[in-house]
Amino acid sequence: MTAPEPTGEAPERAGDRGLPGAPPPPRPPARPVTWQKLTFLPAVLVGVLLVTWLWFRRADLDPVSRSVLAGGQVSGALWRHVGLTVVSTLLVLAVAVPLGVLLTRGAFRGAAPAVAAPGGTGRVVPAIGLLALVAVWLGGGRRAALIGIVAYAVPPVLSHVVAGLNAGDPAAAEAARRLGMSSWDVLVRVELPPAVPLILAGVRTALVLNVGTATLAAFAGGGGLGVLIATGVAGRRMPVLVLGSVLTVVLALLVDWLASLAELLLRPRDPEADG
Amino acid sequence: MSFWEYLGSRHQQVLADACRHASTVFPCVVAAAVLGVLIGVVARRSERAGDLVTTAASAVLAVPPLAVIGLLVPVVGLGVPPTAAALTLCGLPPVARNAVAGLRGAGPAPGDAARGAGMSRTARLVRVELPAAWPSILAGVRVSARTLTGVAAVAAYVSGPGLGHEIFRGLASPDGAEALHQVLAGTLGIVVLALLFDAACVLLGRLTAPGGGRA
Repeated sequence: MTAPEPTGEAPERAGDRGLPGAPPPPRPPARPVTWQKLTFLPAVLVGVLLVTWLWFRRADLDPVSRSVLAGGQVSGALWRHVGLTVVSTLLVLAVAVPLGVLLTRGAFRGAAPAVAAPGGTGRVVPAIGLLALVAVWLGGGRRAALIGIVAYAVPPVLSHVVAGLNAGDPAAAEAARRLGMSSWDVLVRVELPPAVPLILAGVRTALVLNVGTATLAAFAGGGGLGVLIATGVAGRRMPVLVLGSVLTVVLALLVDWLASLAELLLRPRDPEADG
Repeated sequence: MSFWEYLGSRHQQVLADACRHASTVFPCVVAAAVLGVLIGVVARRSERAGDLVTTAASAVLAVPPLAVIGLLVPVVGLGVPPTAAALTLCGLPPVARNAVAGLRGAGPAPGDAARGAGMSRTARLVRVELPAAWPSILAGVRVSARTLTGVAAVAAYVSGPGLGHEIFRGLASPDGAEALHQVLAGTLGIVVLALLFDAACVLLGRLTAPGGGRA
């Protein structure tokens, strides 16, 4: 767990923000991160889980609900969900990063706005539609669900990667090329470093999208926590429905929190920005 | 049977579903827009409240829509109410966040100038601050409309009508001859609706731009 790490980070930032007489920072994206903020969410999530557990112990379950929840099926669905999220995020990155690099190379540069525009057409295709199409096409299952999840998350992540690669100074890349660096070296040592913050934001986007789309994997036979929700709705079993929903919400918020933590810790230091 | 033949034979039902889909989404977008702007107006003066709105918005955005619906069903029952409530809730964050950003982005200067000119608090808000924030608010509404068109498809699992119904019927019998057509019809219908909502937002932006720019 990376949880203890922010202790060194957060108070320092908090102190910076609290300087007496310092003018308020004019730039809105400066995200204030304080120690309280980092611990607040996990504390709330633990509280929610505790309340749900207490409530659930007293809920009277009929045989159907019991059979749905018996034999470690809940933890099975939870781990399946986590697995779907992690694997699909890795796959999204494996597709989006090379594709983003390709779209910023000479010949393909012209195609970049059409493919990776932030308001692109790819973003209006509903996740459930994509998953359903893949499921009907390939037959349901984990593989189909993964393909659907990845297809849904690639366009937004791709636009992050392209924007990141375009964020650097083109003159720097040009200069490095003139100095005789190989195009691989130019990419890795000149073009990628300034792109890291936006790519990390893309990773966070992918994680948050995927943990959400993975709830729909249940409809494509891919398992996950969506199964509990779907069963709860279809069979009018409120305890099952609430348990599935609460676990999904907690997992999604936890993933978002971990991703924001990772974004904060992995972001390259840039001393001038904090001055 | 090809997809076009399917559409030809079922166009009435698909159109009816599309109309119900649009009539479910539209009021929720409007409700989310109004509530989002209200939240922005309330939170605009205090930095703490604004930060709270921004943080809460990103948290709500991270929650999967299906879980939102799942949590609302025990509270408001099945059918249309959880759908409407879930859609409004899911549409709220982009508008609220952009409203706060827009109202803050203008800074205190225009408001101060208007106070100097002797305008009342309400007049300042309606005639100076909100028009300045309008492009940002509209951008939020656009994102919200696009998101909700997709979320409404998922909500069809809880309440029958809408294009999501087509998708779920296809999923219910994935080996059936019409499954792919049904799913495709539902998905493409949602894409078309989302693009129409998008175009409406762009148009609204064009129509209101000169007033917003000059105010």
